[in-house]
This record gives sequence, structure tokens and C-alpha cells, in this order.
Amino acid sequence: MTEVFGIDPLIIKNEYFIEYRHSYGKTSPFFENLSKGKIMATRCEHCNKTFMPPRADCPYCLRETKWVEISGKGRIHTFSTMYFAGEKFLKDVPFYLAYVELEGVDTLLLTRIKTKEPEKLKIGMKIKLRIARELEWRASDIWAEPDE
Amino acid sequence: MTRKVAIVAGGVTYFSKARKDKTQEELAAEAMRMALYENDINMSKDDIEGSVIGYFSDHFENQLKFGAIIQDYLGLNPKSNVRIEGGGATGGLAIREGYAQVASGLLDVVAVIGFEKMSEVNTAKGNEFIALASDTDWDFPIGGYYSGYYALMARRHMEEFGTTEEQMAMVAVKNRNNAQYNKFAQTNPKMNPYGMRDGGFIKVEDVLKSPYVAYPLKRLDICLMSDGAAVAILASEEKAKKITDTPVWITGTGAGSDAMRAGDRPRDNKSLPLLPHEKPEWYKNLEYPGVHSFRAGREAARQAYKMAGIDNPLKQLDVIELHDAYTSSEIQTYEDLGLARYGEGGKLIQEGQTLVDGEVAVNPSGGLIGNMHAVGATGIMQAVEVFWQLQGIAGKFHGSDKTQVRGAETGLIHSHAGTGTYVTVSVLRR
Ligand SMILES: [Zn+2]
Repeated sequence: MTEVFGIDPLIIKNEYFIEYRHSYGKTSPFFENLSKGKIMATRCEHCNKTFMPPRADCPYCLRETKWVEISGKGRIHTFSTMYFAGEKFLKDVPFYLAYVELEGVDTLLLTRIKTKEPEKLKIGMKIKLRIARELEWRASDIWAEPDE
Repeated sequence: MTRKVAIVAGGVTYFSKARKDKTQEELAAEAMRMALYENDINMSKDDIEGSVIGYFSDHFENQLKFGAIIQDYLGLNPKSNVRIEGGGATGGLAIREGYAQVASGLLDVVAVIGFEKMSEVNTAKGNEFIALASDTDWDFPIGGYYSGYYALMARRHMEEFGTTEEQMAMVAVKNRNNAQYNKFAQTNPKMNPYGMRDGGFIKVEDVLKSPYVAYPLKRLDICLMSDGAAVAILASEEKAKKITDTPVWITGTGAGSDAMRAGDRPRDNKSLPLLPHEKPEWYKNLEYPGVHSFRAGREAARQAYKMAGIDNPLKQLDVIELHDAYTSSEIQTYEDLGLARYGEGGKLIQEGQTLVDGEVAVNPSGGLIGNMHAVGATGIMQAVEVFWQLQGIAGKFHGSDKTQVRGAETGLIHSHAGTGTYVTVSVLRR
């Protein structure tokens, strides 16, 4: 039976579910290395740029990049408290997102910050990336924690 | 040699959180009917030679190739029709596409039509759909969504330049209160039969007291989600002069782009597009664009200003409709458009320079915060609003003369997608 929410105008319920078999393509090694406790970025030796999130192809010269391990240490570039979210993450609020500057990396990484003392978070604060013990093979497998 | 292109007619719907009374194609018809029958023009629907149709999300609509349905419903078959999509900048990109079709000589009269119906899913699902227009491998899976991304950018802007939450609140007050003189505006319950009941005038304290969504952005710092449509009819010089005594010319247009993940954008000083009135030493030590500014907006402005001969935007522009998805992004956009130097956008609103009676009226329609954000229609609504402003007849359509910018001759529209991934700027002149 079609669910009906109103009759003037007539409003009915439509649903649509999708399953995707999603490939990480040439960035797959990032996730494989997480299982070995390593955080890998990619580097273009021609342009001297290191990318995190990794890019298999350099956006500046379009040469292929190389994998390099990074320390995962860095600083908060900017951060914010999420009091609301998309439907999928509403269960997590409040949570903290940050762009972090990472040692040896030219880009900023968007990541969650997990901390018991959120009031101490500030721009410039030292952080370190952590890896989940049980990998979900998603960007949420890494996050930042204060490191000072 | 490109041809001159004018806007000759415009129409919009009443905007609302939920226009359950009409389908998308019926909303498009509401806007088209206004364009054809409420503008003082000498043309019929049959003079339209083709259409450009913009809508953002197949997810919101649950209908792919909606352009074909709109085209059919408006009785435009078998003429040319293309769908344009570019997130929040869909409308601005559609206007540019219409411009290109006419300027190139492909067509003489083109209808640019935009719509969105965002009300058929709940607000959190809607935010999720919009978040799917960010990087779904890296940014979405950690809980990223647009208010969050803009909040991170706004906080960096505060850190870099000293911008304050009070300044942001002043933007919300300006736009929301402008909307109270626009009968189409979603936040205008007095004049819009579909308006939100808790709309109306607001004060700075109301914004500051509204709940945080993502620090520093609060409920009233954030744009609407709307149902609605807008239509602008574009014509070649020869046709425009036959259709109307008061065409509004598109004298310049530009488009820029930037990385989907804002963190991937450069933070050196090598890629700063300099505007005609600016000196390189102003920004010598500025990391650019970083996450505090929208390089795409600046690049779009640079192209449009060059084409239109704008070398002092604050003085030369009389009216602007810009993409205030957030109060912070309006302030950031003042700087990208060169209305103020980088870092001085907050001061511009504080000094009241962007009020209707200020140096340049910004978002007299109410913008995305006060009027509407039915994504695919938004950039076209901006074109229609500035068109009416430059014709001097905004009051006739709005149902109030209060936000008509007196003697406006030159205007600008600015359409912006996801953290500045696509931005278009066009200069309009009467
Ligand atoms: Zn390279």
C-alpha cells in the first residue's frame, strides 16, 4: 500500500535505495597501508608537492606521484564544532572538524578531532593523526588528537 | 565577433520552504508566465528559440533529465534545450550559457530557466544531498557537510583578518530585513502567501542568540532551502530593441573554479588574480587562497570587470545580488569582488556601505538568506532582480518600492557553488 501524507495536494511516499561497489582506484594503497599502521601521502617529485589526501596524479603537471610515508604530526589550521550534520552523521553531534597542516605535506587535510577537552582546542595547536584499530576502509579510519 | 546580449524579461515564483501546491514544471510555468505577461515587452512565447534549464540535484528531484519535462510542459518543443548543472552556481552558469548562445549568433532569443524543489526530503537528508556535492571519498565520510566547511573557512577568516560574529550578524539582518519588502521572499510572511510563519524583521541580537549549527555559524547566518523557479529571457541586440524599450545589457561575464577539497587549494601567493584597481603589494604576505577566500570568485570578477570596463567596483557598481549562502561568505565575497581589500570585508558591512542606501546595495532582494535558495533557480533569480533594479521597476514586482536602488545604472550578479568550486560573475548595465 502506498503511504499517503495528504490529499489536497496529493502527497505520497517514494523511496529509492542504491548500493554502489565503489573503487578507490590508484589511491587504494592508502588504505592498505593503514592496516600496517602507516599513513601514506603522495608526492610529485617534479613539482615538489606532497598531497594528503593522496592523489595518484599530480594536478600541477599531471605526472604520476609516488607514495611517501608521513609522520601524521601537525597543527590545527582551523577547526569548528558541528552541532548539526547530514542525516547520516546526526548521531555523532556535537563533533569537531578541522583542517590540519601536516609535517611534510603541502595540502591541508580535513579530519575529525577527537578530544576529551574540546575547550582547549585552538588554531595552531599540535595534533597527531591516529588510525582506527578496526578499519572501515573510509576516510574516517584516521582522525586527529591533540598532541601537546 | 560576439554580439551584444540583453536581458529583456524576467519572472520568479513565490519562494517557500515547501511549495506542495505545485510540481517543479508547474513552478517553472509560474515563473515563465510572469516573464511573458508581467514585463512590458513586445514578444510572445513563440519568439523563444531555445532554452537553457538549470537544476542542481537529481537526488532532490528524484527525476533525471527533468529538463525535457520542463521543456515539454512550457510548450517549447522541438526547440533547442540543454541542462546546466554546477551546484550552487547552476543559475549563474545557465545565464552564461544563454549569453554564449546569443552572443555567438546560435540563437536570437533564449529562455534561461532554473528551478529546485528541496522540500520533498527532510532537512538533514537535504543537507546530506548537498554534502554529496563535496568529495565523497575524503570529506563526506568523516561527517563533512556544507555548513561545516563554510564554518571552518569563516573561522580561518576571523583568525586571518579579525572578522567578527557581530559583522556576520549584520549581513543576516541586512538581507533578512531587505526581504521584508519583497513579496516573493520566503522569510516574508506578511506579503508572501507561502512565506514562513516565523519570518519577519530581525535584529543583530536575534542572530547572535540563534543556535549554533557549526561555530561560528548560527541558524540565522545560514541561507534558506527553498522550492521555486526563476526565468530570464535573453535576446540579441536587434531582437532586444524590438522587444523592449529598456533592455539590460550583459556587458561582462566571467567564470572561475577551484579544488573540490578546499584543503587542496594553494597557500602561497602565486595564484592571486589581481583586479584592475589593486596593487600587488596589498597582498604581499597573504597566503592565498587558503581556506579563507574564494579564488574562483576573484577570477570570475577579474574576467567580468575586464570585459565590462570596471576598474573601481565599489564606486561603479550600484546594485549587487551575490551568493550569501552564509553571512561569512557574503563578507568573503565583498573581498573577492574587490569591494574591499582582503581583510576589510567585515568593515564594509559594519559601515553600512552595502545597505540599500549605501555605496553599493548588496542583496536588496534579501539574497539567499532572506529571499530564497532554490538552488537551480538562485542565480537566475539574481539576474531577474538586478534586471528589474536597473529598469527601475523592482518595486512594481516586489510590492514595495523600499528596496529599489534609486538611479541604479550598473549591477552585478555573483553565483557560487560548494566552497567556491564554481563561481560566475556577470556585469549588467541599463
Ligand atoms: Zn607535478
